Amino acid sequence: MLNILLVDDDVEFSDVVCHIVEFLGHNISTATSLKEAHQWFENNTFDHVLLDFMLPDGSGLHLLDHLKIIGQSPKITLISGHPSVKGILADMCEPNIGHLLKPLQREDLELVLNGPKKVAVKKAKTSGITRHFGSLIGESEPMQKLYNMIERVAKTNANVMLMGESGAGKEVVAQAIHNASQCEGPLVASNCGALSKELIGSELFGHEKGAFTGAIARKEGVFEQSNDGTLFLDEVTEMPIDMQPNLLRVLETKKVTRVGGNKEIPTNCRVISATNRSLEDLAQNNVIREDIYFRLAVFPIDIPPLRDRKDDIPLLAKAFLDQLNDENGTAFSWTAAQLKELQSYEWPGNVREIRHAIHRAFIMSDPKSGEVTLPDNLESPFSRVNNQATDNAVSAGQTIEEVEKELIHATLDKVQGNKTLAAQMLGISTKTLYNRLNAYGGIGEYK
Amino acid sequence: MTQSNQPEPLNKLVHDARAPLNRISMNAELIKLVLENDMPKEKALEALNKIIVNCQQCSESLQQIVDSQ
Repeated sequence: MLNILLVDDDVEFSDVVCHIVEFLGHNISTATSLKEAHQWFENNTFDHVLLDFMLPDGSGLHLLDHLKIIGQSPKITLISGHPSVKGILADMCEPNIGHLLKPLQREDLELVLNGPKKVAVKKAKTSGITRHFGSLIGESEPMQKLYNMIERVAKTNANVMLMGESGAGKEVVAQAIHNASQCEGPLVASNCGALSKELIGSELFGHEKGAFTGAIARKEGVFEQSNDGTLFLDEVTEMPIDMQPNLLRVLETKKVTRVGGNKEIPTNCRVISATNRSLEDLAQNNVIREDIYFRLAVFPIDIPPLRDRKDDIPLLAKAFLDQLNDENGTAFSWTAAQLKELQSYEWPGNVREIRHAIHRAFIMSDPKSGEVTLPDNLESPFSRVNNQATDNAVSAGQTIEEVEKELIHATLDKVQGNKTLAAQMLGISTKTLYNRLNAYGGIGEYK
Repeated sequence: MTQSNQPEPLNKLVHDARAPLNRISMNAELIKLVLENDMPKEKALEALNKIIVNCQQCSESLQQIVDSQ
């Protein structure tokens, strides 16, 4: 909390500034003239003076002289409506004196009052955690391999396909590649799975005015927007397959034609595409044309799931908690036991899931204790469903008898042991079901 | 020396026109704070009324500038 003196002859203006500064957590006093300001300094000290340049009984600069005489050196921010004051200040070369231009903005006020302090704290806090390429956190071996690949591909202009489970951080890796390649243009992201068949052409390639009903103005597509930069196509395998030839044409010719247009516009961008499907899935299910795959996946990168880099969990947990602390002005920290607990869980939803779990725990925690309260069970409803699904999955190496037994038991569980219903679902007679159960060693729990 | 026969210098007039603008922007910032932090809406209403008054004031000041030319 700072002690602040605001010297400004506009009472109404001062009044509102007072409200805002008090809200920011500081003490503020006001003076409307140099004379009043001098009086304040007779019996008080201030950390910061917000000083209007033009006052009824002289210039704000006179107060600076006065402060020198009485031997006080608070931080000074001169407030004026005229940009030329900045030049005068620069000539004075006083490091303790800043300048704000009217009309003021709250962010500017916050910056001059809290600015340097906050930044210092932030730096100290984040210094322990390196964000590789400005976005990625983790020092484990799989991540080091990933960094290596990012570094290599960033130097080229090859198209990259990111493969990884949902929540593994495909968009973050795309951002890292974009940062590492130091290209001039922006990173533009588009989700191919979220767009309807009708809209996807216009989103990717843009459209001319009047190309279709509702096309009231010309629109640039994402290919044009990301010129000289990076285009991130998320869920590219969810794009309707009959739209893919259009995409292939752009990738091959590096020219894009807007919907309803006839001019070919050259594009120069790296395409980073992402999918959460596995390579086998891509090949088997015909979700992406082979020719497109070869164009997009010049350099495929696998992003490791979180369970394969559990060593990074403490780093991630700390980084996410630091961020929440920063945003909310709290000071929670992890205990070693909590970090172990986080590390022992499998996180099927990957980094997204751990982030969600930490955010939830953060909200549930009591700020007075300074310790985050983790829930008894970290599992999310989604991971439970997924677990059940994998429990029932058939894997190579099982005998037919084992699978049959598993199926019968799963069916009986589903119908709470009702054998008539279970036999119907299984497509066998009730008698056969009994015979099988007897063969497995009795009817047991399903009596 | 009365104001009626000696027009005020332009920079003084501009300074006067800027004052309500500064108040308007600060009041707008205050309303943002009120809304972002679920504070009592009376504060926001008060600030909005001040904005309206200052808009009129600013308009009058601008008219003065026009008249002085």
